[in-house]
Amino acid sequence: MNTRKLSLTLAVLSISTTVLAATAASAQSILVDMKGPGAGNPFWAAVERGALEKGKELGIDTVVLAPPTESDVAAQITQIEDQLARGIKGLALAPTDPNALAPVVEEAIADGVPVVFIDTQGSNEGVTYIGTDNVAGAALAAKFICEQLPSGSEVAILTGIVTQSTGKARADGARSGLSGCGLKIVAEQSGEWDRAKGLSVMENVITGNPGIKAVFASNDNMALGAVEALKSANMLDKVMVVGFDANPDAADSILAGEMSASVAQNPENMGALGIESLMKLAKGEKLPPVIDTGTVLVTKDNAADYK
Amino acid sequence: MTVSTDRSRTGNRTEAEAPGLGIRLLPILDRYGILLVILVMGLVLYALQPDVFFSWRNITNIFKQTAVNSMLAIGMFLVILTAGIDLSVGSVLALGMMSLAVANAAGWAWPIVLLLGPAVGLATGFVNGVGITKLRMPHPFIMTLGMLFMARGLANLISGGVPYTGLPDAVRFLGSAQIELGELDGTRLNLPVGLIVTIVVYLIFWVFLEHSVLGRRIYAIGGNPQAARVSGINVDRVLIFVYSLCGLMAGFAGLMMAGRTNSGFPNAGIGAELEAIAAVIIGGASFFGGRGTVLGVFGGVIIMGLISNTLNLNNVSVFWQQILIGLIIVVAVFLDVVRRGIGTRR
Repeated sequence: MNTRKLSLTLAVLSISTTVLAATAASAQSILVDMKGPGAGNPFWAAVERGALEKGKELGIDTVVLAPPTESDVAAQITQIEDQLARGIKGLALAPTDPNALAPVVEEAIADGVPVVFIDTQGSNEGVTYIGTDNVAGAALAAKFICEQLPSGSEVAILTGIVTQSTGKARADGARSGLSGCGLKIVAEQSGEWDRAKGLSVMENVITGNPGIKAVFASNDNMALGAVEALKSANMLDKVMVVGFDANPDAADSILAGEMSASVAQNPENMGALGIESLMKLAKGEKLPPVIDTGTVLVTKDNAADYK
Repeated sequence: MTVSTDRSRTGNRTEAEAPGLGIRLLPILDRYGILLVILVMGLVLYALQPDVFFSWRNITNIFKQTAVNSMLAIGMFLVILTAGIDLSVGSVLALGMMSLAVANAAGWAWPIVLLLGPAVGLATGFVNGVGITKLRMPHPFIMTLGMLFMARGLANLISGGVPYTGLPDAVRFLGSAQIELGELDGTRLNLPVGLIVTIVVYLIFWVFLEHSVLGRRIYAIGGNPQAARVSGINVDRVLIFVYSLCGLMAGFAGLMMAGRTNSGFPNAGIGAELEAIAAVIIGGASFFGGRGTVLGVFGGVIIMGLISNTLNLNNVSVFWQQILIGLIIVVAVFLDVVRRGIGTRR
């Protein structure tokens, strides 16, 4: 019976060995640790693709890992600790929780491993953040509105939650862009990122300002809520709606001629610029505190790519 | 705590006259077989990553990473010994962690902050125990499932669902401090305090379960609650004690996790109860109660830590980790079935 037990044990081990042997140990590599796996999430799949392609182009071994879910903070910490023990020459991290990941990022820095944050800014001081510049993205949307409307037209802004950095940045970018080109902002109110709240806020805005010509919503959910409000007031043909995120619902709405535009982030660039920036750090170059991965205006012309 | 000399836990396997070598090896394999498994795993992993696996840093990493599960699993083990289950430990971990983080942010003195996590855990565990026994819940599954939701909700309620960062060093000590042992060949030799905590806690539990009257009663209740009751054991009281202790360990795990991450964050401990149960089962404890050892639980925790460690070192997708752990749970229990069959057939 001992042989039987032993053979069973060995069977288990040989299975795990086969799994591992398939991924032979490699030389020092750059680790990209994302919030969630690329499988099933187009955003992270794009980050992964961008990182792997850039790694290939520069001839750097690139490893992409992620915890099984975006809430599994402990798994992400563990992955980084293990990879640090193995020895990595760079870490591009999208922290599942900026604060909880701070100690292990400190550990990496103490080891002399270059670190950058991608997608989500961490809480460690002096670490470059590579991600969407939300001010610039909102300004892009504002520019689009400016181009369509005569100076002096009345416009409104639906903000997200402005105590959050993303909400504030998008509101700031839109405000300065719209007023900068001579449009008149008659209302700036929060829809708290929520579709239903965006709808009610928009109802109030058009009641008080029946002459408005455009609304910028800080995310697509609120923009779609605004579309509903305008539809019931029979005003959709007179007011243009521009959102942010370019999610599939918004792309459909743009193609249907309801929303006018949205702003897309560029996750592929987050992966690629992450790798590139780490190589710069390794060579001793300095990085700016924030690197914009760029935003793309999505209109009828290119909305089909975002469905 | 009275010390008992009763050591007849494996009494159903009293040696018959002139047993074969295999049979005589059985009790030894039963007790220490898991160490053999770990040893073999260690050798395989060493072969895969010779430069890294046995490095001081990697080995201490494994203990740093398993410290939280160690605390949850030993509490869970006690509950499973009584043929019960505690589904709430992951949420209780979060509740303990958020309580102490919020208290710290409110400016409470660090000794209170430090004790708050385990105290909150103890309180929720006590509620679990009272609910199971005095409210006569049909199964511990139900009471602790309820607590899983309540504790998670409470953790979010007191914190507003946002993370709290920055704890005093004294509070972080158990979860994150390192003792510098010096240098060897240019590498720093740091001993994580979490490793010492794990060893001390497991020694305490071992002495308690093997050598105290209450510890023997916990085994007895799991083995046969009716017999235990008839022989004069106050089963309800022992159960309340067991669930309280499990809650205490979950709160303590929350303290360790808070130290490790220097924060309290809302998603802490999601699914941790299942990892704790997995470690206990891989360690050979019976789901029907009354059987299992502290050493086995420790082995179960380490095996899970080894799997995660080696997959991370070899850049394997974390999905494989889930598959392998599932596979090992099934194989470990199957081995147990085979072994017990042979033990009784002889």
